[in-house]
Amino acid sequence: MRLGSTDDLRALRRELAARPGPKRRLWVCGGPGCLASGAQEVFRAVEEACRAQGLGGASGLRADLSGCLGLCERGPLAEVEPEGWLYGGLRPEDAGELVSETLIGGRFVERLAADPGCREKDSSPFYLPQKRHVMARFGRARPGSLEDYLATGGYGALELALSELGPEETFRRVERSGLRGRGGGGFPAGRKWRALKESGGGTRYLIANGDEGDPGAFMNRALMEGDPLSVIEGMTLGAYALGAGRGFIYVRHEYPLSVERLRAAAAAAEGAGLLGADILGRGFDFRLAIVEGGGAFVCGESTALTASIEGREGQPRVKYVRTTEAGLWERPTLLQNVESWANVPQIVANGPEWFRRTGSEANPGTKVFSLVGKVRRTGLVEVPLGTTVGALVNGAGGGVPRGRSFKAVQSGGPSGGCLPESALDLPLDFDALAEAGAMMGSGGLIVMDDLSCLVDTARYFTGFLCEESCGKCAPCREGLPALRDVLTDLTEGRGRPGDSAFLESQARLLAATALCGLGKSAANPVLSTLRHFREEYMEHEEGYCRAGRCRGMYLPEVDGDLCRACGACQKACPASAIEGERKEKRRVLPERCETCGACLAACPFEAVKARRPKKGAPDARRA
Amino acid sequence: MPGEPDSCAAGGGVPAGAALPGEAGAGSRPRLAEPLVEGTVDGVRVAVPRGATILEAARLCAIEIPTLCHHEGLPPEGSCRLCLSETRGSLAVSCMYPLRESGFAALTRSPAVLEARRYVLSLLVCRAPRAPRIRKLADEYGVSPDPRFMRDPDGCIRCGRCVRACRASGPEAIALCGRGFARLVTGPFGRPPEACVGCLACALACPTGKIAFSERDGVRRIWEREFELAPCPECGKRAFTREQLAFLGGGASALCHSCRRRLMARELGKAAALEAPGGPALLRAL
Repeated sequence: MRLGSTDDLRALRRELAARPGPKRRLWVCGGPGCLASGAQEVFRAVEEACRAQGLGGASGLRADLSGCLGLCERGPLAEVEPEGWLYGGLRPEDAGELVSETLIGGRFVERLAADPGCREKDSSPFYLPQKRHVMARFGRARPGSLEDYLATGGYGALELALSELGPEETFRRVERSGLRGRGGGGFPAGRKWRALKESGGGTRYLIANGDEGDPGAFMNRALMEGDPLSVIEGMTLGAYALGAGRGFIYVRHEYPLSVERLRAAAAAAEGAGLLGADILGRGFDFRLAIVEGGGAFVCGESTALTASIEGREGQPRVKYVRTTEAGLWERPTLLQNVESWANVPQIVANGPEWFRRTGSEANPGTKVFSLVGKVRRTGLVEVPLGTTVGALVNGAGGGVPRGRSFKAVQSGGPSGGCLPESALDLPLDFDALAEAGAMMGSGGLIVMDDLSCLVDTARYFTGFLCEESCGKCAPCREGLPALRDVLTDLTEGRGRPGDSAFLESQARLLAATALCGLGKSAANPVLSTLRHFREEYMEHEEGYCRAGRCRGMYLPEVDGDLCRACGACQKACPASAIEGERKEKRRVLPERCETCGACLAACPFEAVKARRPKKGAPDARRA
Repeated sequence: MPGEPDSCAAGGGVPAGAALPGEAGAGSRPRLAEPLVEGTVDGVRVAVPRGATILEAARLCAIEIPTLCHHEGLPPEGSCRLCLSETRGSLAVSCMYPLRESGFAALTRSPAVLEARRYVLSLLVCRAPRAPRIRKLADEYGVSPDPRFMRDPDGCIRCGRCVRACRASGPEAIALCGRGFARLVTGPFGRPPEACVGCLACALACPTGKIAFSERDGVRRIWEREFELAPCPECGKRAFTREQLAFLGGGASALCHSCRRRLMARELGKAAALEAPGGPALLRAL
């Protein structure tokens, strides 16, 4: 059905919102994490069980796939509406019980609880610090369904903008909201919007950046898959406020489901007269194309991204002219992350004051983070900006598991930075993170415990960036491999005195001379670890790795005071280098040890320590 | 390194005479329609048309800024990062940074600039340790190649001048392919470029002399391909490949550069003589 006016839209939204929902619904999580751990099979089994029980339209009981429910680590998850119960670790075999007990019987199945001890999703510590604005529809609306989107408040902002606000007020609401770019830089959205608005006449373009490339990050993916229409409505509002006729959503092709959902959602919106030509009969056109990228990390950079959309090689170019002046095909272009766009409908609908009520003064609103690494509960969290790192790591994340201790948190993707324990008090906002030597990036948080070597971590991320460097400018192309080589030497026992100082000066120069944002931030892994963990670098220069991660650069030693003679280390050792009878404290035989680190990881009491290898010991510098 | 070609080879599509290796003494491109903006380069006052680059302003002041990927006749790319200078407290690539308003103050020899240039050269010299131009710059800036980072000293600094010269000339036979450290100039699929017409635009644009070619017995070899050179109808010297002439199309002649110049001078002389009193009669007598 094509909506011919804002009145038609209002009537349809009212009708859909008033339509009674199902009596009870099982939302099987269809987020990226859960799909990877087998949610599709679980959902299929649940559907099968529903059919077997004769559940269908009239019964008021149903099961659907939802957007990401967040607690990925316990996936596949399922949430029960209206009770709000959260199940986790589901297997297809559980489907019968889920349907007969919960869906029909209305009883909680204790053994399937996602977070033991917490029935309701909202009572789990994982969800306590959260405030879900961008992810509000996950578990409330079927991903990409226009009907559900409209029923849950969707397109209310467009209706308001077209019927009451007009383009100028729509623009002002976004400008006054203080929204900052969610892609990482945190550039004020209002300034970009104003620059586009004041750019010369003619064609203007809008772009949504969905080229999420950071390892371990999947918040943009969850958003595009879980609520594609919020991105599309946000862009439509931008098009209306700024007079842009065409838009592009740039998605990496490794996200086929995102592409599929966005395309389907755009087609549905167009069919309903909410996108395309003559939107809601108001004579305003906005044509949207979903463009697939080839999967190069650098294409997340704005100029490389526009080059890629234009069909050229995805390479950044020297940017002394802003994209809002000359971007795509040299026309004024507004480029924002998909999460920034998804915030726009709520800002327009509820007003800037509402938006500013969440978060802090200079960093209003919420931000989605992917919390991964050494924490008990990993997954996607959406919290008000300004929430402390500790509240996420120890609160939502539940702290470091297996009795290990917290060492560092890596924020902002590969070109972000590693922050030490003191960062737990740091508020998660654009400015505080940048000041501490990390960055917000797209919102990846990787927690590391004391078994992580920060020099090795820097080597890993620098290696990743070497692979992803486009090779256009000399510092990034030639300078990054040089950094990586020195880091590799340090982690393989070939470190030399002065390497740390050398790394520091090279990394600073790389950051100062590189061409694009990727190159300028590519030195961050080195610089931030040097800043906060310099003593580890100094130890590596001398051939010692205190984390017991770099081979041949430590000797495991059992601390007799801590050892409880459990034998876990002995069982884990593949080289039979640990001796000791039952109920006896264990000892390491240095001449047999291969320094694989298995004993360190296996010990539940942190009794196995990585000691400095003796000078001149034959295996001390095995590289 | 192979010898210089015996003529000033023109690019495939570039008219003869529009010499490509035209960097030396190249001045500011005229942007006469633009109003002038004033400022300083290293404290020297200078006025340039709005939109001129720091490099152009510096050259007007006779201040030298070293460049590698920059070429007067090609679109700029700003990728070698050697021409960095300091403006508004941060580094900028001189060959692209546009001076838009009066009051600019660029520094081309500040400590930050010199340090940055030394860094860039220390990286590039590991790639092309034997290229005379790189060695000269490295000596000037007191940089020597660090054996620790001599990973692949193949003589190419990936500035892309050859690729841009080829594109500007028309054939677009070669490109920079791959990414990161492994990026290199090549024909499609790593094979000898089929679209190459053997015009030498790439070799002449190359600042390090990486692109090898040879000429023997009327045959030019470049990019693992062989091109027959057409003899000049006047003197018999072989300056252009048959493929190049075919690419230019129409009546492109194989006249070598010096004969072309000589013939043109003769024509001009004729024209001048016709204007002069008694000229036509003189010409008839000749």
